[in-house]
Amino acid sequence: MTAASVARRKPMSENPDMGHPSGFSGDKKSNGAVSLPRMLVRSLKFRRARSLSALAALTVSAMVATALLTLYADLDAKLHREFRSFGANVVATASGAVALDEGMLRQVQGVVGADVTVAPIAYAVATTDRGTSVVVAGVDFAAMQKLDSWWKVDAWPAGTNDALLGQRAAGFIANEREVTLSYAGKAVTLHGAGRLSTGGDEDSRIYVPMAAFTAWTGVQPTVLEMQVPGGAERVNAAIAALQRAMPGLHVEPVRALVAGESRIVDRTHSLMYGAMLLIALTVAISVLATLSASVLERRRDFALMKALGASQGQLIGHFLLEALVIAAAGGVLGYVLGSGVAWAIGEWNFGTATLPRVSLLPVVLALNLAIAAAAALFPARVLRGLQPAALLKGE
Amino acid sequence: MFLRLLWESFARQRRRKILAGLAILLGVTAVTAMLGLATTIGDRIHQELAVYGANIVVYPKADTLDVKVGEQSLKPATGNAYLHEKDLEKLRGIFWANNITGVSPELRASLLFARGLDQRTISVDTVGLWFQHPFGSGITGAPQLHPSWHLQGAWPTPHPQVKDGQYAVVLGSTVAKRLGAAIGDDILLGDSHVTFDSTSPTPAIAADHAKVVGILNTGAAEDNEALLTLADMQDLAELPDAVSRVEVSAKTRPEDAFARRDPDALSPKDRDVWYCRPYANSIAYQIREAIPGAAAEQVRQVEQSEGTILERISGLMWLISAAALLAAAVAVSAAMATAVLERRAEIGLMRSLGASKGRIASLFYAEAGLLAMIAGVGGYVLGSVIAAALTASIFGQAAGVALSTTMLHAFNPVLLPVVLALALIVAVAGSTASIRSALRMDPSAVLRTGA
Repeated sequence: MTAASVARRKPMSENPDMGHPSGFSGDKKSNGAVSLPRMLVRSLKFRRARSLSALAALTVSAMVATALLTLYADLDAKLHREFRSFGANVVATASGAVALDEGMLRQVQGVVGADVTVAPIAYAVATTDRGTSVVVAGVDFAAMQKLDSWWKVDAWPAGTNDALLGQRAAGFIANEREVTLSYAGKAVTLHGAGRLSTGGDEDSRIYVPMAAFTAWTGVQPTVLEMQVPGGAERVNAAIAALQRAMPGLHVEPVRALVAGESRIVDRTHSLMYGAMLLIALTVAISVLATLSASVLERRRDFALMKALGASQGQLIGHFLLEALVIAAAGGVLGYVLGSGVAWAIGEWNFGTATLPRVSLLPVVLALNLAIAAAAALFPARVLRGLQPAALLKGE
Repeated sequence: MFLRLLWESFARQRRRKILAGLAILLGVTAVTAMLGLATTIGDRIHQELAVYGANIVVYPKADTLDVKVGEQSLKPATGNAYLHEKDLEKLRGIFWANNITGVSPELRASLLFARGLDQRTISVDTVGLWFQHPFGSGITGAPQLHPSWHLQGAWPTPHPQVKDGQYAVVLGSTVAKRLGAAIGDDILLGDSHVTFDSTSPTPAIAADHAKVVGILNTGAAEDNEALLTLADMQDLAELPDAVSRVEVSAKTRPEDAFARRDPDALSPKDRDVWYCRPYANSIAYQIREAIPGAAAEQVRQVEQSEGTILERISGLMWLISAAALLAAAVAVSAAMATAVLERRAEIGLMRSLGASKGRIASLFYAEAGLLAMIAGVGGYVLGSVIAAALTASIFGQAAGVALSTTMLHAFNPVLLPVVLALALIVAVAGSTASIRSALRMDPSAVLRTGA
């Protein structure tokens, strides 16, 4: 019973709202002349197909602009991130009496910032069980794994006594499982965890955990390999900061890497810029052409309104407003879609998300409004000389 | 009659045709330019990435172990296994020979250097290299593989006669400083079988005379080295035809899971596929086959990282091309739809004069197709030129490519049918909906109201 009464009463309770005097006041005010907003709503509603196609064109233009601009803004950071796969871009060598111990490492990390990977390396020349001289390097395997993503390793050593054998060095070792090495008369037996192949100098070396290395040889690290994220400015800043804070260190950029990186990033940047301009121009001109053609097509509406007493200014205002409303809607819609496209491309191509940039919304909206305004005003000149009577007659 | 209708339509409705044609032209231009850039970006970026050096390294299989840390050798390489320089010609016969863009053999030995007989003598890692060496149709050598090397002066040239005249030598900047030598100075160098020992007293060396022709600054190991031509080095070290290591720069395809398979464990059919793909691994495999006693391997730091970067940048270009295609498709179909809608009265007239729907539709499709062809060819030309101009202005200086030479290669004939087909499809598809809706209308109603 209650349910039925509620159901019956519900529309009733809404009635007062609908019939509220204030609801009519807007209509009453505009009784004399047809109000602009109302004409606009009607025009958009009754010419739905045409409005939708204009909306689609403007949405696509905003979408393409947003996607390209978002990617463009993020491009440098993304490319620099890819270049980190080349490994260290700064190398610091301890000269003289400076020892790169734990405290020093922490100090270095403090100077360059926490996002820089710092890998200390110590070298010694030891003798294998076959009597061949071989370079043994003491390293922090966790840092090396982060730094040298190109290393092809059977298995990264996990134990405190595990060694990684360069594939050429491995050829000079009799027992690869139990590697016996001697340095300055001190022998040590390490567990060979696997082979390392890089095609570079690393192939001729044996890598040993730092703790085991210092306990065996007593040699402190002399080289710090560092991977500084970002472009050349960031690298130079890090080098300058290190040189100021630690004059005992000889800090050098890996020059070929840093120079090549900024050049390729710059080139790609310019290429993207050119592509963006080209596409933006295409879209803008095509949308302009389509929209102005559809305005021209409405010459009859135009003539009718003129015959009913509308002034030239009112008419152009009407067309302009209509175009701008569609452009704004298309701009917002296109911004959302374009941000999605940029996110998908970032995720798919670079493996990292490209986050939407709110700062682009006004830019995209302004671009869209400018195109729409141009499209509405362009035919105005043609329409001015129009004879309503002749057109309405069908000539 | 049909052809005449077609002709008149183009001749009389010039403004409308220009509008629709402009949309197609711009669309095709953007798509052609982007596709042109996307298809060549791989080569360009490969050229740029050449600064990172060779991606394949060849050394004798029976090699000794390098005892080398960073920039200095702790012990001289006393190995006696060498490759033969004349075998390098065989690189031109391998399956992917055309992908090899640079070859740089080297022969290393420690030599003694001094400004004069009574001056301080230092032992310097000396490298014999190719400079401006003809290989196949081009010129290759160490400078080509290391574009970032900064040289003052000139590269060494082979000295004219053995045991007569002067050797030409380029000193690393650190070596030059230690010797106190400048470009144009005469220095003495001695072939040495000495061990690494910088404290050795001034030896009575059977000195050869050399002239410093250049100073090299690289910021890397070469600053501590001296460079000679390979022929001179073989002469000095008394190792004719010997090469201790070869760097090869090759255009490769980024490594995938299939590339990492062991070719000898594959089925014959898969092995052929593996062999015929330009992976760094398969090129290295072919080099091993071609040169006796050689081990060839990819330099993983360069190859793997280059692969990633190449993939990312060309992936980006393809995705932008897709965006251009989408934008162009929307723009062209909108323009075509508008062009048809504007002519409803004409359609009504033709219908009332007795033309069948099929005839009218085929007239409109023929117009759309013709327009797509004309504007498509124009867009192809314009787009190719834009792509070439962009490439020349962005990559031009480094690669040494002038605008005129890029323009010669601007027109990729494969792209023409592709973009024309795309233009045709989009133009026809774009006008289909509006042609059909126009044909559905009652001709008399259209004629009465249509403007």
